[in-house]
Amino acid sequence: MTKSFFRQHQASLLTLLALVLFPFLVGLFEGASPAVVWANGSGTSKFMQGLAIEVFILAMFALSYDLIFGITGLLSFGHSMFFAVGAYASGIAIKSFGLNLGQTFLLVLAAAFIQAVLVGIVLPRVKGITFALVTLGMASVLHLIVMSTELGPYTGADVGLQGVIIPDFINPAVERLRLYFVAMTVFILFYLLYKRFVDSPTGRVCVAIRENEDRAKMLGYNVFTFKFAALLLSSITAALAGFLHTIYQPIVSPNTASLAFTVTALLIVLIGGVGTLSGAFLGAIVFRALDFGLRRYIGESASFINGAVYVLFVLFIPYGIIGTWRLKSLELKKGWEDLLKRFQRSMG
Amino acid sequence: MDNFKVTLRKNLVLYLTLGVLVSLLIAAAQGMESKDFVITFLRGLAVGSLTFLVASGFSLIFGLMHVLNLAHGTLYMIGAYIAWTVFVRPDTFVDLLTPLALLLSGFTLQGVWAFVAARIRLSGAMGRILPWGGMALSLVILFMTLARYPIAVWDVEVFAQSPGTYAFMADQGTRLVPEAAVFEGLSPALAVIGLLAGSLLAAFSMVWLAHPPTAPQQLTWRHFAPFAVLSLVGILALIFNEPLTAWLVGLNTNWLFLVSVVVAVLAGMGLGGLMEVTLIRPLYVRHIYQIMLTLGMSVIGVEIVRAVWGRPEFIMPKPALFTGSGPGCPATTLAAWWQLNCATILVLGGRVRVYNEIFIPLVGLVVLVAVWLLLKRSRLGMIIRAGVQDSEMVEALGINVRQVFTLVFALGVGLAALGGALAAPSLGLSYHMGESVMLNALVALAIGGLTSYPGAALGSVIVGLIQQFMIKYGQIGIAIPFTEIVFKPTPPIVPASTIFLMVIILLLLPNGLLGKKE
Amino acid sequence: MDTILDVQSVHTFIGQYHILQGVSLSIPRGSITALLGRNGAGKTTTLKTILGLLPPRQGKIVFEGREINGMRSFDIAARGIGFVPEHRAIFRDLSVEENLKIAERKKGDYARKQDFIFGLFPDLKRLIALPGANLSGGQQQMLAIARALVADNSLLLIDEPSEGLAPVIIENVMAAIRELSKNATIVLVEQNFLVASQLAEYYVIIEEGRSVRHGLMAELVQDQATIHRYLGAA
Repeated sequence: MTKSFFRQHQASLLTLLALVLFPFLVGLFEGASPAVVWANGSGTSKFMQGLAIEVFILAMFALSYDLIFGITGLLSFGHSMFFAVGAYASGIAIKSFGLNLGQTFLLVLAAAFIQAVLVGIVLPRVKGITFALVTLGMASVLHLIVMSTELGPYTGADVGLQGVIIPDFINPAVERLRLYFVAMTVFILFYLLYKRFVDSPTGRVCVAIRENEDRAKMLGYNVFTFKFAALLLSSITAALAGFLHTIYQPIVSPNTASLAFTVTALLIVLIGGVGTLSGAFLGAIVFRALDFGLRRYIGESASFINGAVYVLFVLFIPYGIIGTWRLKSLELKKGWEDLLKRFQRSMG
Repeated sequence: MDNFKVTLRKNLVLYLTLGVLVSLLIAAAQGMESKDFVITFLRGLAVGSLTFLVASGFSLIFGLMHVLNLAHGTLYMIGAYIAWTVFVRPDTFVDLLTPLALLLSGFTLQGVWAFVAARIRLSGAMGRILPWGGMALSLVILFMTLARYPIAVWDVEVFAQSPGTYAFMADQGTRLVPEAAVFEGLSPALAVIGLLAGSLLAAFSMVWLAHPPTAPQQLTWRHFAPFAVLSLVGILALIFNEPLTAWLVGLNTNWLFLVSVVVAVLAGMGLGGLMEVTLIRPLYVRHIYQIMLTLGMSVIGVEIVRAVWGRPEFIMPKPALFTGSGPGCPATTLAAWWQLNCATILVLGGRVRVYNEIFIPLVGLVVLVAVWLLLKRSRLGMIIRAGVQDSEMVEALGINVRQVFTLVFALGVGLAALGGALAAPSLGLSYHMGESVMLNALVALAIGGLTSYPGAALGSVIVGLIQQFMIKYGQIGIAIPFTEIVFKPTPPIVPASTIFLMVIILLLLPNGLLGKKE
Repeated sequence: MDTILDVQSVHTFIGQYHILQGVSLSIPRGSITALLGRNGAGKTTTLKTILGLLPPRQGKIVFEGREINGMRSFDIAARGIGFVPEHRAIFRDLSVEENLKIAERKKGDYARKQDFIFGLFPDLKRLIALPGANLSGGQQQMLAIARALVADNSLLLIDEPSEGLAPVIIENVMAAIRELSKNATIVLVEQNFLVASQLAEYYVIIEEGRSVRHGLMAELVQDQATIHRYLGAA
């Protein structure tokens, strides 16, 4: 029984182990002992933990996008709004209203719920491209609001929200390793939740809606309820990713509300594989590593290469890394089966 | 009478919305002096016209092919930069003509290559290695030739030779003509041979690799004509490089302006056609991927512009027709303007810039009518209108819809490039000019109806007017009735207001004001 | 017997669904052939496969002695195949005249065929300036047939001409189709067996993506067992 559990989840468990050991392994490479890493000594490990936290945040954001775009088939151009609301709400709550982290968490949840309801109001009225445009519009309005000078004292206008004081026990400067594990745990919890969701009856209806909305309707499902469920889950995930972003980053830039940030999510999902969930994590790693490496070694024209990667993926690897891998392994498996069958036939 | 009632009831929301918008305009007029109103109104029309040039092409493409070309704003921007280059640096333009024409020439021989490739019989391995080898060889040849090919350019890094400096000096009336680039370490004849050979080889290898299923049965002169024309243009442009440059430099700025706009439009059309054939076409079965692809293209386009023309913003000088000054200006009548070519003209007491606020809306109007005539009166327009509804049926009638797709894509991008070229002297050039116009166009189309041609026009004008009135009221403030408060909309509220309107209209009329009900 | 169209065991997929699993037809020149079968048997898909709108994965289609599978639809159509699709698919935004003009393959086709078309469908002449969207179902059907007549087509593929029409109008359409068969070969998909049996000389029955039976319509009408088995109660 236990054995089959391990065998069944081999890949996931290995990944988990790698993630837990990651900070210490990086430390060892540099010659820093696990104890130093444990004590949050500065060095490559701390730096890499930072990158990894960013990857977790991006991955959560991309995961939430994959749920509504890849799984449910709603094309939204305003997904950055979900993230930015979480980031700004938490930052303003801590900085301007002095809430503690627990209260802020509840506030972020409430904000996520409210924005899901706002999009939910629009949802049944507009479809397809029009939905994309309306969400784009909503996100643009938020982008403009956080950029406006009137709200400068709260949002920091075009400079971004800064000066949010994070309690020491989770402050990235002091307790980065703890934040690393917190971010990791949150991401993994959400990933498992999403897996459950997609395999649940609700999730299957969401996939059915993506495949053919009219048919789902004819089968008697209230399409709106399912779309809204996906939207709500997605909104909460993205808002919490935004909350983590506020905790980790010294500045919440207004760019988090821009179309470019939605495109980032799209790019990550595309690299990993649309509708695969695990692709969001892999895509986030590839994206962050690519972006980091390119900016470091090429500098200015990094976004050019990013754009080119994007186009190449669309043209040549449309199912992303995970999707393509699954297809190939399926083909491989089928190939083996065919071979086996032929073999058996020739024997028999 | 009953008919009227039915129409009224059917479109009640539409009429109410239009009524609200018109009364808003009237209310806006009440709040300011007539000269302010005239200027703001014309500016709104100008912004609306530029938006319309982008939106109409976008909507044609979306309607016919269901491709959401999010790179449309970027192509508008590229049109602007091309126009600027031809206008301010004709020498660069002439230098570029030869390599571009020769590079493209080989690819016009598609039919010939398919004909040849279909008749080559090789073993499997050779059949795969040779095309790749040809491709690699062609790349080497092209790289070696192009690396030494002399092209006179500006230098983004050096201030005295930056695009901004050239633009500024040209605007001051002293055109800087830098030294012509000369051939060094590469003879012109060798350059022509290298480019031609590289292009022919690259095109042939590509066709050979792709193995087109349909090859022509026999070759006629038609298969060779485009190649002959292009290579001739390339070689002539090289031979007459100097006189051509001198002619363009010495040309009256009005004519030069016309040349730059035409070049920008043609280049835009070429780019659009190329984009459709190479990138969009393989993805017609997967529309979501097309959206992603165009998004990626828009990023790449912005980066190319930033790398070639630099980050700083600059402006394209206006042609002489719109820059006159001195006694008699601002002109009071059109006749006076025609004689003096004043930069400004007095309309109802307001000083209006002729190019920005009269010429651009006029061109917008001309394009509006021209495209409308094309759609309503020509066979192509008939096919487009039919294809918007059911392109499969059009194909089943024996019409090559794919060709029409390419044509419409080229046309749509050409319109955007025209918009960019027109905007260059009034709004200036910057690497983010495409983004803002794209957002405007999307909002305009959502308001007017995504696939409706009149809707694109109406939506664009609404967006332009609202934005300009918001900006104006940002300066003078809105006195809120029955209170002493004066409300001044700040810059972020300007775009926000149109987006806000879009969301409201979409909630009331999900297909936009003039969109068809699905 | 002179065969104008020869379809040899074609297989067609829509997405991942294997719709046609071996359909063969041999259509004699100048005849009217009815494709019969239940809903979803693959009759419409067969027509679309012939026309290249759904290219076959396997099999061969020969029209006028030339293999046409693998060609682009417009190319196939331009060889002389007219298509009257299900639900008519007339262009709603185009006027009746434009709906006809768009089908021109050579300049002047419409002018040349005008008298013939309006002789067949006098109603259309009256409606010439109206947009397609304003026509009634019967008028739309007539327009759809007329559209297929503008160019010189030697083969007409007609899908469900009687669908949703009043009996009087069905009579008109049937008369028109009979008239057309004097100059062209017609392949007809028809749910209404009564209509099909009165029009067609030959029949082909398609069942679950396969052509299972063919022969003379006159014989099928006698064969109640077959009718019952493949078409349900006639």
